[in-house]
Amino acid sequence: MTKIVRTAATEPFKPMPDDDMIVCRCEEITKGEIRKAVYDGMSTTNEVKRWLRCGMGLCQGQTCQKNVQSIISRELGLKIPDIGQITGRSPVRPVVMEVFANDVLDVHEEA
Amino acid sequence: MKRHEVLVIGAGPAGLSAAIEAAKNGMDVAVFDENARPGGQLFKQIHKFFGSKEHHAKERGFNIGKDLLKEARDLGVKVYLDATVMGIYYDKEILVNHNGEVDHFKGDTIVIATGAAENMVSFKGWDKPGVIGAGAAQALMNLQGVQPGEKILMVGSGNVGLVVSFQLLQAGCQVAAVIDAAPRVGGYGVHASKVARTGVPFYMKHTVVEALGEDKVEGAVIAEVDDHFQPIPGTEKTLDVDTICIAVGLSPMSQLADNAGCEMKFLPKKGGNVPVVNEYNETSMDGIFCCGDVAGIEEASSAMLQGKIAGSTASYKNGYIDEDEWQQSVEKYRASLEQLRTGMFAPQNKGRTDMTETDEGIPLSKSLLAKGYVTDEELAEFPACSTKVSGVHPVIECTQNIPCDPCQDACKFGCIKVGSNISKLPVINPEATCTGCGMCIASCSGQAIFLVNEDYEDGFATVALPYEFLPLPQAGDKGKALDRSGKPVCDAEIVSVKSSKVMDMTNILTMKVPVEYAGTARFYRA
Ligand SMILES: Cc1cc2nc3c(=O)[nH]c(=O)nc-3n(C[C@H](O)[C@H](O)[C@H](O)COP(=O)(O)OP(=O)(O)OC[C@H]3O[C@@H](n4cnc5c(N)ncnc54)[C@H](O)[C@@H]3O)c2cc1C
Ligand code: SF4
Ligand code: SF4
Repeated sequence: MTKIVRTAATEPFKPMPDDDMIVCRCEEITKGEIRKAVYDGMSTTNEVKRWLRCGMGLCQGQTCQKNVQSIISRELGLKIPDIGQITGRSPVRPVVMEVFANDVLDVHEEA
Repeated sequence: MKRHEVLVIGAGPAGLSAAIEAAKNGMDVAVFDENARPGGQLFKQIHKFFGSKEHHAKERGFNIGKDLLKEARDLGVKVYLDATVMGIYYDKEILVNHNGEVDHFKGDTIVIATGAAENMVSFKGWDKPGVIGAGAAQALMNLQGVQPGEKILMVGSGNVGLVVSFQLLQAGCQVAAVIDAAPRVGGYGVHASKVARTGVPFYMKHTVVEALGEDKVEGAVIAEVDDHFQPIPGTEKTLDVDTICIAVGLSPMSQLADNAGCEMKFLPKKGGNVPVVNEYNETSMDGIFCCGDVAGIEEASSAMLQGKIAGSTASYKNGYIDEDEWQQSVEKYRASLEQLRTGMFAPQNKGRTDMTETDEGIPLSKSLLAKGYVTDEELAEFPACSTKVSGVHPVIECTQNIPCDPCQDACKFGCIKVGSNISKLPVINPEATCTGCGMCIASCSGQAIFLVNEDYEDGFATVALPYEFLPLPQAGDKGKALDRSGKPVCDAEIVSVKSSKVMDMTNILTMKVPVEYAGTARFYRA
């Protein structure tokens, strides 16, 4: 498990000129939104993910995770291991519901 | 539920090698890959690989993939394609998305060999169409036969950025520049030099700050960065490009290992979050192995050896080979791995910037690290680059310690020596006589060998060079000779073009230039 180091941002949120830059393409989350999430109290990659959905889209964080992490870690002055990784979960790739409906249920035949 | 003793996830060099090793020892193996075409990264690699013969050196990547696949199939390995492994569950059960259905498989051993994904950088306008990963560019060119764009900016000077830049040139695209935020070219000097000599400028300590254009890339703004990688205002330059290609490193795709419950660790030197593995590539979960890029970004050559070590260990643990046989094979693979992990680009030297000379004590070229090519003065320090020899002779412009030795095997006349430490610089044996056969040029994975003959004709010399572009010039063609920086320096006439099957698509152009350019003319342009 990643050790969670809580250091909530103490200063007020200051807007930056590139806050409108999209960082998570799949869910269209901007740099400003991620920075703000930190000031709203999120301090791990997973928390920011749950708060904003960045990393929950089609690419499952494959493209944006490192960039999201670098924004969080810079705001908090923490290192990447301190803010942790997105938890690897099944399904590791997006799956259409139709596929789940087509579960090959030969499990019983062998049992 | 279907059963196989070994379930391998990923049909790249690591996964296929693990499968081959286990199947050779008699195990029942299945390999799953989410792509329609197996081979992992190898299928996009059309360049010749480094290493030694045992690491498939001088073979082109996609051919190595084909060989591995054939070997696996011949051994009875079941290869499931279009089969995405979605998760790993209790007791080594995996869930596979295959043919539009969810399929269940169970094994005694699982080998996770899922490779890596590309990193991205975010900058103003990076989400516009026309900003693509280097891997996507390769897939377009080398698998679909489509040019990714016409004028390209390459961001990243590691081996991936350099190799893909060269392939873009081969595909007929223009490469406007190769840039990198780091102060030094990250990849092999020989890869950089073959790009630089075609005239591509290198801007180190530069980053891309904006992708211009309305709804697609119509230009790129780059700027110099300070020591903290922040753009320096006032240094911006606008480049006329329609595509920005990103090659800024890879991250292990280790989610399945995390999902399986393996102990994970964030290790920047390995490229990100990786499973902790022991010396046999086994994770903290008994019977679950991780090898190749997923366990730490390296090379295909090392991925294959890690796969073999995992395959051999699984065979031993399941009683297919005895302890002696296992230890012997692992020792052999480990020794081969050690050979690859030598030289200035070895994993343990990753990120080092303090190296100033080669193992032989020759000053490293600063120009190579800043601009992608070695200067005449710097080259004069390297004995294998001397042009002051009578008759036709090789000039080997390979100036960094990289694990590679096909040049030594190529010369049947004993002209070139690397020795048993394959990271040593190649040297020329003054006793042997060069016949001008050209095999060294064609075998050199770095396209770093030239044949020079200063006694060709009164006042004229010939320079023979490796050439992998179309259309292929013909004898009698006249054009310009370019120097190492890609600057036209003199007129050149093609006197011969050699291509043969053993040269594996590397053609040898011999051009005639005024003798004073024998030491500088290194590329030809019609
Ligand atoms: C441009 C470029 C040039 C290179 N040049 C060289 C070189 O000259 N020499 C060299 O030695 N190396 C080179 N490499 C590096 C080499 O290609 C990689 O190190 C090597 O391919 C890693 O092998 P692997 O088996 O670990 O992973 P990969 O080759 O990436 O294979 C992993 C496979 O697993 C599949 N997969 C992933 N997740 C799943 C899942 N959930 N279910 C099913 N399948 C899955 C992937 O789709 C992929 O097919 C180069 C790489 C690049 C990008
Ligand atoms: S041209 Fe032939 S003989 Fe001469 S060094 Fe190269 S391989 Fe040897
Ligand atoms: S000169 Fe030899 S060692 Fe250097 S890149 Fe070419 S083949 Fe490899």
